[in-house]
Amino acid sequence: MDREDLITSNPLRVLGLDNKAEEGRQSLGLVMARAGLGKTAILVQIALDSMLRGNRVLHVSIGESIEKTRDRYDEILSLMVEGLSEEARTEVARRRMIMTFKENVFSRPMLEERLKDLIQQEIFQPDCLIIDGYDFDGNGRQAMEDLKVLMADLGIAVIWFSAVCHREDERVSADGVPAPCHAIDDLFEVVLVIKPHGDHIHLDILKCAYCQVEPGTTLTLDPSTMLIKKA
Amino acid sequence: MARDLSKVRNIGISAHIDSGKTTLTERILFYTNRIHAIHEVRGKDGVGAKMDSMELEKERGITIQSAATYASWKDIEINIIDTPGHVDFTIEVERALRVLDGAILVLCSVGGVQSQSITVNRQMSRYRVPRIAFVNKCDRTGANPERVAGQLRDKLDLNARLMQLPIGLEAEFSGIVDLITMKALYFEGKSGEQIRESVIPVEMQAEAQERHQELLEELSMYSEELMEALLEGGEIDTQLVYDAVRKGTLSLEFTPVFIGSAYKNKGIQPLLDAVDAYLPCPTDVQNFALDLRKNEEEFAVTNSPDDPLIMLAFKLEDGRYGQLTYVRTYQGNLNKGDTVYNSRTGKKVKIGRLVRMHADEMEEIDGCGPGDIVALFGVDCASGDTFTVEGIDASMSSMHIPEPVISLAIIPVDNKAQTNMSKALNRFTKEDPTFRTFVDHETGETIISGMGELHLDVYIERMKREYKAEVTAGAPQVAYRETITARADFDYTHKKQTGGSGQYGRVAGYLEPLEEGDYEFVDSIVGGTIPREYIPSCDKGFQKSMEKGILCGAAITGVRAVINDGASHSVDSSDVAFQLAAIGAFKEAYRKAHPVIMEPIMKVAVEGPTEFQGAVMGSLNQRRGMIIGTVEEGNYTVVEAEVPLSEMFGYSTILRSLTQGKAEFTMEFATFKQVPKSVGEELIKKYEQEKKNN
Repeated sequence: MDREDLITSNPLRVLGLDNKAEEGRQSLGLVMARAGLGKTAILVQIALDSMLRGNRVLHVSIGESIEKTRDRYDEILSLMVEGLSEEARTEVARRRMIMTFKENVFSRPMLEERLKDLIQQEIFQPDCLIIDGYDFDGNGRQAMEDLKVLMADLGIAVIWFSAVCHREDERVSADGVPAPCHAIDDLFEVVLVIKPHGDHIHLDILKCAYCQVEPGTTLTLDPSTMLIKKA
Repeated sequence: MARDLSKVRNIGISAHIDSGKTTLTERILFYTNRIHAIHEVRGKDGVGAKMDSMELEKERGITIQSAATYASWKDIEINIIDTPGHVDFTIEVERALRVLDGAILVLCSVGGVQSQSITVNRQMSRYRVPRIAFVNKCDRTGANPERVAGQLRDKLDLNARLMQLPIGLEAEFSGIVDLITMKALYFEGKSGEQIRESVIPVEMQAEAQERHQELLEELSMYSEELMEALLEGGEIDTQLVYDAVRKGTLSLEFTPVFIGSAYKNKGIQPLLDAVDAYLPCPTDVQNFALDLRKNEEEFAVTNSPDDPLIMLAFKLEDGRYGQLTYVRTYQGNLNKGDTVYNSRTGKKVKIGRLVRMHADEMEEIDGCGPGDIVALFGVDCASGDTFTVEGIDASMSSMHIPEPVISLAIIPVDNKAQTNMSKALNRFTKEDPTFRTFVDHETGETIISGMGELHLDVYIERMKREYKAEVTAGAPQVAYRETITARADFDYTHKKQTGGSGQYGRVAGYLEPLEEGDYEFVDSIVGGTIPREYIPSCDKGFQKSMEKGILCGAAITGVRAVINDGASHSVDSSDVAFQLAAIGAFKEAYRKAHPVIMEPIMKVAVEGPTEFQGAVMGSLNQRRGMIIGTVEEGNYTVVEAEVPLSEMFGYSTILRSLTQGKAEFTMEFATFKQVPKSVGEELIKKYEQEKKNN
C-alpha cells in the first residue's frame, strides 16, 4: 500500500477522530489490553496515521527507551507503507518527537513544564499526544481532568493513552470499559480494547463518540504484524 | 603440547575519557609483574603511564592509540588492548572490540555513566562483547558506586549487580567486601600488593548478608544447580556461584560490577581474578570468516592450531622500530620464518620477526597460536587485512568504517616539511581507515579529513612531533558531498582534429542515482562501438569527474555511469581522447541529473541537569537540529538530536555558557542528508565567489 492509499483507506478512518480534530474539537482516546497484547503497536499506528496526514505527534513513553520506541515506529512504518523513500521517511520522522520518562519520574506537572518548553520556544508544537504507560491505578479523575485543561491551553487536539487491564479485575463501566478506567470512561471519546479470540486478535471499539460505525464494531489485528485490518 | 586456550583472555579496557582506565591498566601491569614501578598519567615524574606510549598522549593525559600489551595473572595469559575514550577515535575502539573476546567497562564512581559510556556500550553490544564493569575512583569526593550500578541498569540497560561493597567511601575508602566469599579485603603494602583477608566489619555484616542473598537469587536465574542449592538451603558452594556469574556474563545477560580505586591501588587484584573467572577465552566466543571462493559465504573459525592459519591485522603502527602490524590469530599457528598470504592483495609475505608488545617495549617470540594477539615486523599491509596460508582463501568479516565528516587544508611550511608530511600522511592513512587525504587539483592544497576536529588536530600534532613536518592548517570544513537525484542521458563527442595528431572519442549512455555505494561503472557496449582498450579510459574519465562537483566543489558520490554507445577513429582515438570524452559526457549529464548537495548529519546527545533541558533543546533547534527525543531520569535529562555538522562548530562553548558548564555532549556521525534549499544556495554562491577569486 502506498502512502496516499494508506491515508484514505486506513481502517482507523472509521474512528472519525481526525475529522473532529480538524473541526477544532479536542478528544481523548484510550487503548486497553492485558499486558503484552500490543497496546504500543496500536498507539504507534494511530500516531503514524496522524503523522502521514501531516500532524505532529509527541510520543510520551513511560518506562521505555528512545531507541526502542523509535525502532517501533520504523518497523511499523515499513509494514504500513511499502517503498517509502528516505526523504519521505525523514519528513515523517520530523513530525515526531519522543519523550521518555522513568516510571517513578513521570508527573503531570513535569509533562506540562516540558510541553511548555517545547511549544513556547517553537521547538515542537504537537497536534497529537501519545502517552504510553500512564499509571491509571495511581492517578484518578482529577489528574485526567487536569490533562484535559492542559491540552486545551496548549492547543493539542488529541491525546491517546494506553492502559493495562487485568483478567482478575472484573469491574466494567456501563459501556463495557474495564477497570482501571471504568470509573472515568466518560472522559474518553474513544475506547478500544485488544482481545484475543482463538487465532485472531480483535480490536473492539467499546466507545466512539464521533464514529462512523456503531459501537461494538470490531477491527482485527494481523497477529504477525499487529497491523489493524477491517474485520 | 597443545596450548590450553581456556587460559587465554583477550580483553579491552574501554570507557569514558578521564575515568582512569590508563591508570587502571598501569596497575594491572604492575600487579602482573610486567612493570616494576608505577607512573601516573599526568605524573610529576615525567615518565607517564606505560600504555600512553605516544608523547602526545602523555602530554594531554588521554589515550589516543590503543597499544596492545601482554600480561599473565596466576596461570592466565591476558592480552590487553587499551582503547581511547574520545568519540573521535572510535574506529580504534571498534577495531579493538572486533578482535577482543571480552572487556572491562571502566566507570568513574563520581561521574558515573556518561554519554561516551553509552556510545562505548553500544559498540560492545554491536560486537556482542561480554563485559564486566569496574567502578573506579571510589576514593574521590562524591563517589557512589551504588548509583553507578543503578545507572548501568537504567541507562545502559545492563543487568548489572555489585559483586562487592565498599568499606568506607571517598577519603575513607579502605577496602572491599566480596559478596560471594563474604570476606573483607584490604590492600596493604607500598603499592597495595599485599591483600589482607578479614572478617566483614560488624556494622556492615547485616547489609552484606542481605546483598549476598539478593545476588545469589539473581544469579540462580543462570544456573539450575544454584537454584536447587538455594531451594534446598544450607551451604552454597562458591564455585556454583562463580559458574553462574560466568554463564550470565558470557550470554550478555548479566554484568558483574567491581569497585576500587586504581590510583589508590585498591581492588585491582580481585578485578584480575574476575577477568580470569568471568570473561571468555577464545573458544567461548564464536568468530566468523568469509570464504572468498564461495561468494563470501560465512564460516566459523575453529580456534584449532591444527587448521590453516587465519589471522587479522587490526592495527598498524609506525614506531621507532619500523612498521608494526598488530594481528589476532583465529586459527592455526604462525612461526617465525613462515610465509603467509594477504588475502586482499594475494601477495606472499614472509614473517621475519614476531613480537609480543608491551606498550612500546617488545618481547621476541618464536611463534603464536589461536587466540593470540601479537605484532609482526616489516609486513606491508593495510589495517583490516586478513592473512592466511596456501589452500585457504578467507577474509575476516569487514568492519563498519564510518565516512569522514570533516576536512581541512594543510600547507607545509617548507620543502623539508613537504617531504615529511607525505611520509606521515602515507603512514596515517594506512593506520587509520577513517583518516583520509587527497590533493585538491584546483588549489593544489593537501586536504585531510576525519571524524572530528580533535581527530584531525591529533594527526597534525603527530606530523609535527613524529615526522618534523611543520604545517599550517586551515579552518575545518564540513565534508559536503554532491549526488544526483535523477537519470540523465549523455552523448558527447570529444573531437580535436585541426592539424597534427588528432583526438577523437564519442561516448553515449546515462548517469543514474546509485542506492548503495559511491560509484559504479557499467559497460553495456555491444558491437564494439568503443574498442575494448578504451573502456577503462571511459571509467577513468568518469571517476576523475567525480572528484569535484559543480555545485559546491564537493566530491560526487552515489552515481552509476552506464555507457551503451560510442564511436572511435582508427587514428585519432586514444586513451586520453576517451578520458576527455567521458569527462565531457559526465559534465553534460550531471547538470540534467538534478544534482544536490549532501551534508553530514551528526547524532548528538546532550546530557545535563533537568533545569537546562529547555535551553539545550532551544540551542539544538536553532542549529537546524531535529530533536529525536528526551530522556527524563529525575535530576538530569538527555536530549538526543540529529544536527548538521556545519552547525556544531563551537557548540561546546555555547553549551558551557548555557548550562554553567554542567552539561556535556557527544556526537557521532549518523548519515548524509540533502541540505535545505537556502543552505544549498548559500554554498553554491560561496563556491562561485571562491572560483572567481582564484
